[in-house]
Order: sequence, then C-alpha cells, then structure tokens
Amino acid sequence: MASVHDSLYFNPMMTNGVVHANVFGIKDWVTPYKIAVLVLLDEMTVSKCISLLEKRRLNKLILPLLQGPDMTLVQLLKTVEDCCPQLAYAVHLRLHLMADGELKDMESFFDVLPSPFNETESEAHKSSVVGLFMRHMVLAYNKLSFSQVYKLYKALQQYYKSYERKAPPASDATTDADMEQLAPDSLGRKVEKQDLDPSPSDDDVASTEPLSQKQAEYFLAQQAYFLKNDENKALKPAGLQNELNNMLKFNPDFAEAHYLSYLNSMRVQDVFVSTHSLLHYFDRLILSGSDSKSNGDEGYGRSLRYAALNLAALHCRFGHYQQAELALQEAIRIAQESSDHVCLQHCLSWLYLLQQMKGSDSTVLTEHSVKMAVHFSLPYLASLGIQSLVQQSAIRGKNAKKLINALKDTDILHWKHSMSELIDISIAQKTAIWRMYGKSTMALQQAQMLMNMNSLESVNLGVQQNNTEAFTVTLCHLAELHAEQGQFQAASEILKHLKERFPSNSQNAKLWMICEQKIQFDRALNDGKYHIAESLVSVISALCKTEGLYRKALVLKAQNQTSEAYQVLQGLLVYCEKTKCTEMTIRVMLAIAELYWRSSSHGIVLPLLLQTLALSREHHLQKLASETVLHLAFSQLMLGIPEQALNILHMAIEPILAHGAVMDKGRALLLVAKCQVVTSASVPADQRHQALVVAIQNLEEARSYFDKVDCRDRVRDIFYLQARLYHSLGKTLERNKCAMLFRQLNEELPSHGVPLLTRL
Amino acid sequence: KKKISILMALILPLLLVLSSLCSSCLAAILAFLSEDAQDLDAYTLAKSFYDLKEYDRAAYFLRGCKSQKAYFLYMYSRYLVSLGPIGRPLEKGQVKNESLRELRVELSKKHKAKDLDGFGLYLYGVVLRKLDLFKEALDVFVEATHCLPLHWGAWLELCNLITNKDMLKSLTLPDTWVKEFFLAHMYTELQMIEEALQKYQSLIEAGFSKSTYIISQIAVAYHNIRDIDKALSMFNELRKQDPYRIENMDTFSNLLYVRSMKPELSYLAHNLCDIDKYRVETCCVIGNYYSLRSQHEKAALYFQRALKLNPRCLGAWTLMGHEYMEMKNTSAAIQAYRHAIEVNKRDYRAWYGLGQTYEILKMPFYCLYYYRRAHQLRPNDSRMLVALGECYEKLNQLAEAKKCYWRAYSVGDVERMALVKLAKLHEQLNESDQATQCYIIYIQDVFSCGEILEHLELSTAFRYLGQYYFKSKRYNEAFICAQRCCDYNDAREEGKALLRQISQVRGEADPASTDLSLPFLYGPLSATNTPVRRMSPLNLSSVTP
Repeated sequence: MASVHDSLYFNPMMTNGVVHANVFGIKDWVTPYKIAVLVLLDEMTVSKCISLLEKRRLNKLILPLLQGPDMTLVQLLKTVEDCCPQLAYAVHLRLHLMADGELKDMESFFDVLPSPFNETESEAHKSSVVGLFMRHMVLAYNKLSFSQVYKLYKALQQYYKSYERKAPPASDATTDADMEQLAPDSLGRKVEKQDLDPSPSDDDVASTEPLSQKQAEYFLAQQAYFLKNDENKALKPAGLQNELNNMLKFNPDFAEAHYLSYLNSMRVQDVFVSTHSLLHYFDRLILSGSDSKSNGDEGYGRSLRYAALNLAALHCRFGHYQQAELALQEAIRIAQESSDHVCLQHCLSWLYLLQQMKGSDSTVLTEHSVKMAVHFSLPYLASLGIQSLVQQSAIRGKNAKKLINALKDTDILHWKHSMSELIDISIAQKTAIWRMYGKSTMALQQAQMLMNMNSLESVNLGVQQNNTEAFTVTLCHLAELHAEQGQFQAASEILKHLKERFPSNSQNAKLWMICEQKIQFDRALNDGKYHIAESLVSVISALCKTEGLYRKALVLKAQNQTSEAYQVLQGLLVYCEKTKCTEMTIRVMLAIAELYWRSSSHGIVLPLLLQTLALSREHHLQKLASETVLHLAFSQLMLGIPEQALNILHMAIEPILAHGAVMDKGRALLLVAKCQVVTSASVPADQRHQALVVAIQNLEEARSYFDKVDCRDRVRDIFYLQARLYHSLGKTLERNKCAMLFRQLNEELPSHGVPLLTRL
Repeated sequence: KKKISILMALILPLLLVLSSLCSSCLAAILAFLSEDAQDLDAYTLAKSFYDLKEYDRAAYFLRGCKSQKAYFLYMYSRYLVSLGPIGRPLEKGQVKNESLRELRVELSKKHKAKDLDGFGLYLYGVVLRKLDLFKEALDVFVEATHCLPLHWGAWLELCNLITNKDMLKSLTLPDTWVKEFFLAHMYTELQMIEEALQKYQSLIEAGFSKSTYIISQIAVAYHNIRDIDKALSMFNELRKQDPYRIENMDTFSNLLYVRSMKPELSYLAHNLCDIDKYRVETCCVIGNYYSLRSQHEKAALYFQRALKLNPRCLGAWTLMGHEYMEMKNTSAAIQAYRHAIEVNKRDYRAWYGLGQTYEILKMPFYCLYYYRRAHQLRPNDSRMLVALGECYEKLNQLAEAKKCYWRAYSVGDVERMALVKLAKLHEQLNESDQATQCYIIYIQDVFSCGEILEHLELSTAFRYLGQYYFKSKRYNEAFICAQRCCDYNDAREEGKALLRQISQVRGEADPASTDLSLPFLYGPLSATNTPVRRMSPLNLSSVTP
C-alpha cells in the first residue's frame, strides 16, 4: 500500500507528495528535522554538563542548522556529535522516545517547550534568532489541523526510522530487545532497497530535500552573493539550475528563483534561457506587487520600469546593442512618464555604458549622469560614473593630475559609505592607469595594496570579496609586470593562482587567458621561436581581435615577411585611429617604423617617429614615449649622427631604467653602447680607449638583461660586438672568450638574415 | 477515471469482436477467462468499490489476484490513491511521491519480465510521466500501442509527450486504423491543420461518417485556422447529432463570441446549464456569454469557477486573462496568462495575451518577446505578425515592420489590415510605387472576397491611388479612383476636388482622352476590376503564398 506520507519531508500544504497552493502565505512550518533541532535547543538549555568549549562550538553550529536545508537525522546527529557527543546522545534518546511512543509524546513536547515569553532570563531571548525560531515553530505547530498533526507525527516516525535503517547497529542506542524486533524488518527493507535500486537506475532525484520558503530565500541570497563576489563558491551552473528547477517545482510562485536562474544562465551565456527567466521573473514580480496598482514609487509600475531596464542590461551584456538601446529607450520613457528619478538615473548610467560599449564618445553623458546622481544623492551611481569618466579620459589622454585627483576624491567617498566593491575597482583602475602611463613601480605598489587589503566584507559568509573582476584585472597586471621584469616563474605562479581562482568557465577567465597568452607570446618572440608565437596568435585573436592582429604582424615581421606585415599593420592603424585606441596606435606605428628600417629608409622613419613621440607625450604614455625615443635614436645612429642620438638617449634612459621592462633596458643600453662606439671613432686615441671600455661595460649590462629574458640572438650580437671591441683594445684573452661564446650561440641559433647592426 | 472506465467498457466488447475474428486470439481470450474466473468475485467486489471511488478498499481486495484485468484494476486504484483524495489535483509542486515510485518499481519489474498487458503498459507509462521521466514514458506508451492498439488512452498520452514533427516521425507506431485517428489528433495539436483535416476527411470516407468525435475534431480544426463559418456550421451539425454533448462546447462558444452571436450563445449557455452546470465547459460558455454582454466581473467569476473545477483547464486561464484585460487589471491578466503558460507552454493565445498586455502598458520592446513566442508557435498566423509589425513600427524599426506586414499578408491576413499598414509605411517612407501596389492588392483583396464589410481604409486607399495616378498623369485611373472616393463619406470632398482637377487638366491637355475613357468607366463593376488588371504585371509577388 502506498505510504501515507513521504518519509523525511513534511509540509502541511502537501497531500501525497503534492503541494497545494500556499493560500495562507505560510513561510515556515514544522518538519521532523525542525523538531530534532528544537530538541537539540531544548537539551542545550536544560543540560548543565556542557563544557565551555563545547558550548561555543554548539552555538556556532546553531545558525547553519536553522538556516540550512533539512538534514537527515544521521547527518544532524553526526554534526552534533562532532561538537558534543553526550548532547547528541541525549537528542537521539529523546527523539527515540518520541518516535517510539505515541502522539501525545510529541504533543507534550511542544507543551513543555520552554517558551521564551514567560522566562525573561531564559537563554533564548524572544527576539533573538533562536527565540524567534522557537516562537515560529510553536506558532506553526499550533496552527496545524488535526490531520496535519497526525501526519507530522507519522513523518517524525518515518524520519527516525530512516535513521535507524541507515545507522550502523553498533552505534545504535536502541536496546537489544528493540534491535531484535527491528532487525528482520530493517533487514528485509534493506534487501528490498538493494533490489529496487538498480532497476530505476536513472532515478537521480535531487539529493537535497525541498526547502521551505525561508530556507529557499536564504539559499537564493547566498547563491546570488556568491555569483557576484566569488563564483567558485557558488554551485556549478548545471547544479544550480537543477536546484532552482526543483525549487520552482515545489513552489512555482517563488519569483526570485527565476531571477537567479537568469543570473545563472548569464554565466553560461545562454541568451534564450536568461531572457526567458528574466521576463518570467518580472511577470511574477508584477503579480506580487499587484496590491498597489498605482504607478508610483511602489507597486507594479515600478517593477515595469525596472523590467525594461533589466532587459536592456541583458541585451547589453550579450552585445545586442541595438536591442539594448530600444529597451533602454522604453525604460527611460516609462520612467519619465512616472517621473521616477532614481530609475532614470540608472537608465542614464546604462546609457553611457552602452555608448561606451558601442565605441562612441559618451563623456558628456557620463558627466551629466554623475551630476544628476550627486543631485539625487546616489553615491554608488555617482562614483561608478566618475570611475567610468576617469577611464575614458585616461584613454583619451586628459590631464593625468586631474584624473588621479578625481580618483582620490571618489575614494574618500567610497570609504565614507564603505562601498568596498568600488574601492576595489578604484584600486584596480589606478593600477591600470599607472601601468598605462608606464610607471610600473606605481602600478606594482597599487596592485600590492589591493592584494594586501582586508576587504570590508570579509566576515560575510566566509567569502573574502576578492574574486571579483577588479581582482582579476589587478592580478593580471601583476603577472604581466613580473613577466616584464623577467621573473617568469613568479608570473606563472600568479597565473596558476588565477587559474585556480577563476576556472576557465567563469566570467572573468577571459582576462587571465589573454594575459597568459601575451606573456607566452613575448617569450617565444624574444627567444626566436617564431613557430610557437605563430600558434599563439590564433588564440590571442580569438580573445581580442586587435591584439591578435598586432601580434600577427609582429610574427610576420620577425619572419621577414615584410610586405604582409606592412599590410596588416596598415589595416590595424586605420582601425585603431578610428576607435581612438591610442596605445595600440603608437605600438603599431613603432612596428611600422621598424619595417621601414628593414628597407634601410631611415630618413622616412623620422617624421613617423616624431609623430609617435608627440602622440605618446600627449597621452602621458611614458613607456611608449621612451620606446619611441629609442627608435628615434637608433634612426639617427643609422643616419650617421650618433652624437644627436646619444643626446636624446639621455632623455629616455632614465625612465627606462626606472620603470621599463628588462627587454627595453637591454635594448637601451645596447643602443647607448653602439652610439658610444661610433662616437669614439672621432675622438683622440686615449679618450677613445676609455669610451670603448665604457661601451663594453654597457654591453655587459645589456647582456645580463637579455639573459634574463632568454633573448639569445641579442646575446649573440652582444658577444660579437664585445669581441670586436676587445680586439680593437687588444685584449686577446677576453676577445677569444667572447668569440667562442659567439660561435657557440651562432651554431645553435639559426640566422635570420637581419644584420645585427640594423636593428634596435 | 471516468474516461478509463468508459474506455474499458468500450474496449472489452471490441476485444471480443476481434477474438471472434481469429482463432488464436480466441484461445488467448479463453485462457484469460479461466484465470479471470478465479478472481471474478474479488474483481467484482473491487470494481464496486472502485465505482464508489473507494480506491484503497478496491486495491486491498485485489491484492492477491493473478489475472491481468484484476491486476490492472489493482494498480490503477493504487495509482489513483497516490494522486490524492480530490481526484487530480494541481500537478505543480509535485515533489516526491513515494507511492508513485513504489508503483514504478513494481511495474518496471513486471515490465522487464514482459508480464504487462496493454493496460499495464499504459499505467506504467502514466506513472513514468508523472515522475517526469518523459523519454521512458514515451517508449512505454509506444509499446502499449503496439500491444493494444485500440486503447485510445495510450494514444492520448503519447500525444501529450510528442512536442514536434520530427519526434512524431521518429516513432514506430502500429499500423492500424487507430493510428489515423492519432495522427489526425496529433496534427491538430501541432497546428498542422491542413494535414489533420485531410486525415479526418479520409476517415469519414472510410466509414466514420457518423462519428461525432470526428465532426467535433474537424470543427475544432477549423476553429484553429480561424475558418469561422465552416467551424460554426460543423458545430451546428454536431449539436444536431449530439444535442446533450458538453465536450468542445467551449470552443463553440468562442466562435459564437467572435461572431458576436448573442442569442445563439445565450441559448447554448442555458442549454448546457440545464445539462450539467458543474462542468468546466459549461462554466467557460457562461463566462463567454457574460463577456459578450460586457459583464466582465461575472465572466471572470465563471472562469474562476471553471478553474476550480479543473485547475489545468488551459482555455479558462487564457480567457480569464482576457477578461482581466477588459477590466484593465493588467497585473491580474499577466498572472492568468502566466498560469496558462505554465499549464501548456505551447499556448500561443496566452503568449499573445501577455504581449498585448505589455503593449497596453506601452512597452513595445518588451512585448516583442512575447509576440515572438506566439509567432513561433503559430508561424502562419497573421495576427501575431501584424502585432509584431505594429511593435516594430512603434520602435521605429521600419524595415522589420515592413517585413512583418508583408509576411502577415503572405500567410493570409485575417483582418486584412496588414496591407493597409504596409502601404502607410511605404507612404511614410515616400516609396510611392510600393505603397500604390499595396493599396491595389488591398482593394483587390477586399472586393474579391465578395462581402461588403465596413472597411474604413478603402477610402484611404482610393484617395491615395487617385493622388498617385494624378501625379503620374494617368488620368483615367485617377478619375476612377476619385469617383470611388466619392462613395465614402470621409473622402467625398477630396474625391470631388480631385475630379475637378482632373477635368481641368484634361481640358487643357487632351480633351479626346475623356471620350475614350467614358465607356470603360461606366461599365458595371469595372472600377473594381480595372485597377486590378492594369496593375497585375506590377504585382511582384503572388497573392497566395
């Protein structure tokens, strides 16, 4: 015969596994598990023999017990046992008595349950979490009808029985007589279970029990928080969706679950499901707010506005800019009609974001948005706007001082309102800006600051709020900075950490992927392993198109396919100028200049390089500016004006040695040495001797830098130069040593046909 | 439950008839009977309990029985118990039904041992479906149809599980005449109305001409393709043959409602109320009746009553949504439509209703999604396309809007508004040639369908055409159009003005041409035909899709 009731779970609204519409709006009800928890609480107040340590552990346990989903008795007793064995035994005993007794045992239990009302000095104060829980339970119990009480009791018996079935007999507290009575039954059931289990093999019902509304709310809040702050801790997308589907099956009117489903499908970039869930959520939300039909601040007029806004956000995230714009217009129109300024403000900030994503200038909009946000005192939106403004202005080369100042001012605002998320973003932004300006030390310092900062919300849910995008960005910068300094081991450590923190299917994974590829590419190119670099290009292109094209050109250039490289670079240059991507423009122009050198047209290069220099100075891009100076000096050297070259090199050498990458340092010193050698030809012999010695020293230093980044063909070149210089100084021993090293390297490395002097 | 008992009663004699046809079957039946005889007492007792709806009791007395029939009743009673005391409650929120799972385990054992007959398989399938194991259920139902092709219940269940055409094609079904019924039903479900009608027609020709079921199905099919007249006549026929029928009468009332046939609807409502007022269909009919009388509160009340009787009644949810829309209670309407969608995701009317609701709330972009869903479900329904087009027009996406209108016209526009809207769009965009074409096809369409309905836009069309021809100096055509303009109140003045202009121009340019056009003008009905003939080479696409 069909069992009267499901074993573990009890819901007064349920008959035979079917939950009826929750007409009374009951949010919480008594289940066997909760009775067990009540017993535990009761025991805790009654029993005197709990040590302080155990008490502390128990107190820590209570909150998860109250908020979490229902557990089986085995699990519950096990967790309690870990804290305090004798209490677990006491709970077990009382449950055993209750389940093996009669209905009146349960009834009397609820009667004697210490009511937090009448005992003022009771440990469970009536407004404490525990007190509230107990009051809830007593109330819910009293509300039950006759048949529901009976069902609850049956459920309790089942609950206990299933424990006895699962628990190993040794640890079972039942008496021997009971054991004997139970044995055949439980054994028979076990056999039956084993028989049955294989046949419905595909029967993978949700492992967890359905949640009551309170528990479900907690679950949703937790998962949403995880999704926002620390994706790894959240359930896997498929698992979460399963959970949500179960929840919705159990309680179809639970609209929030649809929203989480929307967030979840955003994670896996599922347009279809996310749209569906989002709209469903708002359809449901409109219902819940239907009691106030006004179009005012409350009621469903408001949710309509936000529905349209959210739809816009969704399309924006999926890159459907046209759709997003339409939805946004709609949201703005409705918000205007009902003059909801807050909503309008949100719309405005999305509007400038949208403009930005589409690649057009949205500075005016952003400024306006910030002003309005300040006016309506919405600090979050205001500082978000300022940050976005700073980012745009930085890219457009606005006054650096002002930008940093603005960031500092907003930081004060953040700290005042303790918006830790924005603080993180602000620091990450500073890192990025410093790095863009070519001040690697400052960038490094900012990055370290974020890493070492204790987040304001660190206590919450055990999540240190550090798996956000800001952290990813900063860590990526850190990795690249280390790689620039030739500390590849450290860089790969950081990348490994990133990989652990942000698995490749998470939202921020793209950032570290491209960073990793770039580092590998640079190494391969320096090492002369062009085939590896070539294979990396396709990966980079998949992640970022412009970057991919640039790298492709670099590989082509290295492989002496000059005309192809030139074509790619020209195309890229046009594109970059159109999208106002200054950094990339400068790099492309430098690459083009290097191509010109190949055809020995050093004269043509000069105007191009000067233009580049102007551009990079205008945008305060120090690193690129000094690189341009290097290029310029080299051109001048090749044009036969080494004195001039040395002159301008002095400008660049200082920032390069302070902030530059190891590669740049090496190149700069090599160039200095070359210039010194050439200028020494025109000075008297004694001075010349000295100059050559200095040049050799510089070469030595450059060689150490190149060694760091495994740039062996440049090392080879240096050996050659050194050998020549030693020769002219008459130091045969050193000369022979360098010559030998040169030969060794020369045999190992294929020659690419680029004469060593005709490149930077 | 009722359905099953009726089916049992239907099928047993059929089995007997079949068994008389083949001797091997006869032997089987005899063996069946001898086993049956043993269980006869218990079975009869249990059957009485079953009829009294005391399922637990019935199952208890059947527990030791060996015969297939008794076993089925035993399991079926248990199944009904597991569904709960109030018949079939709302299925949503079904979490974990131990008893259903027990049933499944037992049945699967029997199934493995090939011990289940057609009914057993059917029950197994139903249990699987209730446990959401659709794929397994599908296989079992197919097996059940092979085992017992005449059991319509299994076919119906199968019908619920099939979601698209490809799935239908991939099944291997027994080759019997019942399959034809099933296919016809399935085609109706999948909105392949033409195929369904063909099937039914061939079934009628094959000897089922008196079947009221087929008549009702044909009527429903016509209803689905909005062929209201044919559907109405079929329903009237059905009422004549089967006057106490309640099934499908809600659809009939929908049709009457659409045609605003108040007396007929009132008669139907009263009649059904006499037969049985506690039926979902009756409540829906009464709801429709009140709705037609614009008593929307009462209508909503009756739809609610219908839903109380059967919460899974799809039509009632949607209709209730419509009522709430009438009452301007948009949030309640959204709720009702959402419920309808929950019951059946393929209910295009509910999606369409949601779209309309949001359109009323002035959210044209938002409602696009809903209209699109509705359109997906009914790709050949012009109403969704027109609605989509209107939304696009509001969003100023004129290219999309044009596509929608044109498509709406191509699939056969019911309300004949698509072309006018398209023409106006072209007018807006200064694409006068296209606009002219659209107006011409529109006029042609309206006149060729014969009925003189009130088409406000006709005057607009003639007015525009007149101007257009006048501008392009085709005075004959312009003259005709201007004359037609004078037939309509709102365009009369402009028509006269145009006529004056034409005669003026003609007087200056070529007085002879008027003489030429005179006989052609005064020909009866020529005005309607001439533009058509003249413009047919211009007509780029065929009228029928």
